[in-house]
Amino acid sequence: MSCDEHHCVTCSDEAVPLEVLEVRGATALCAQDVEVMTELVGPVEAGDVLLVHAGVALVRVER
Amino acid sequence: MRFVDEFRDAELGRALAAEILATVEPGRHYKVMEVCGGHTHTIYKYGVDDMLPENVELVHGPGCPVCVIPMGRVDDGIAVALRPEVIFTCFGDMMRVPGGAGSLLDAKAEGADVRMVYSPLDALRLARENPDREVVFLAVGFETTAPSTALTLMRAKAERIENFFVYCNHVTIVPPLRALLQSPDLRLDGFIGPGHVSTVVGARPFEFLPRDYGKPVVISGFEPLDLLQSVHMVLRQLADGRCEVENQYKRVVPYEGNPQALAVLAEVFELRPHFEWRGLGFISHSGLRLSERYAEFDAELRYHVPGVRVADPKACQCGEVLKGVIKPWECKVFGTACTPERPIGTCMVSSEGACAAYYNYGRFARERAVV
Repeated sequence: MSCDEHHCVTCSDEAVPLEVLEVRGATALCAQDVEVMTELVGPVEAGDVLLVHAGVALVRVER
Repeated sequence: MRFVDEFRDAELGRALAAEILATVEPGRHYKVMEVCGGHTHTIYKYGVDDMLPENVELVHGPGCPVCVIPMGRVDDGIAVALRPEVIFTCFGDMMRVPGGAGSLLDAKAEGADVRMVYSPLDALRLARENPDREVVFLAVGFETTAPSTALTLMRAKAERIENFFVYCNHVTIVPPLRALLQSPDLRLDGFIGPGHVSTVVGARPFEFLPRDYGKPVVISGFEPLDLLQSVHMVLRQLADGRCEVENQYKRVVPYEGNPQALAVLAEVFELRPHFEWRGLGFISHSGLRLSERYAEFDAELRYHVPGVRVADPKACQCGEVLKGVIKPWECKVFGTACTPERPIGTCMVSSEGACAAYYNYGRFARERAVV
């Protein structure tokens, strides 16, 4: 996850929407080779959009 | 980008601005606090405040976790970082936060092994890769970031990693809001609630705002249209004589939050009796520390942490900015002695700090207005 001008992980109140490309157990591989822990949102599948903060998916964004 | 571009539509923004103008009473001055630093950043970056009527004032709240860390906690972190056996890790912005005797970046320049990470998992990876060193992660942030630290600690415990420690500075959002509302020099009409904290805690914890203090609150997303709509919803409540918690950010925030995340937080953390906030002083039950179950990972138990208290520099008015009492440009050192390159106060460090956000975006509009 990049720490660019839009989404900085230090901010704590800003999170990044990422689309799941592949699932490996409790880890989702998202765009830009970002690995995301998915324990807090339950099973995910490719195509899901997750709100990710500091490497953890906090919520699945409604389609 | 999906879920982003459609919330930056200029035409819709102008329509919302017209609705806001039609909702406000001429002659009445409205003060609405956006609690979260992410909102402050969006407001200045996209000029959201320029689209509001003159009698609607946005007040910037204490929701930037970097900004509320007191200098003494930075100094305590530096004391740990200077230990030769320690690899000290933190998010990028924390490296520049000034303590009483310099920042973590200064300590790095003096030889401390301080490294920037993007998540606590990166720090745990460093611990695995460096079994002969002790890796300490400086944890900051509200309830949004705390689950990441908690999950990392659960993985460390499951893997029986013995050289990973957390210097915990996590804080919670409700106690500082209560403290702000008890401040006699701040009059507010309503709140824009923090969107991503609410993905974890839900909207329910904010019910005390309308119930106990008679202030409407609207949980908001982070795009410019989210904020314009949320301001409109607060003003609409005031116009209708309603006072409740509304959720503008329903596409992300469930009213009850994320129960798994709350369970993880309850497992790994416990409330401190009190915690010091920059500008707000000590606030009861506002900070988190590791629970007894995770005491073996607690850097404050592992190392001698001086526990110093350091008064803020006299010239710095971050406290007043964090309380919304003054605007960033009203601080004596804003933009002169205190800049993002050489910050004196924490509000100038993080891109989400009101001073840095205003310095980077807002000052140009003000300079035009003054000319």
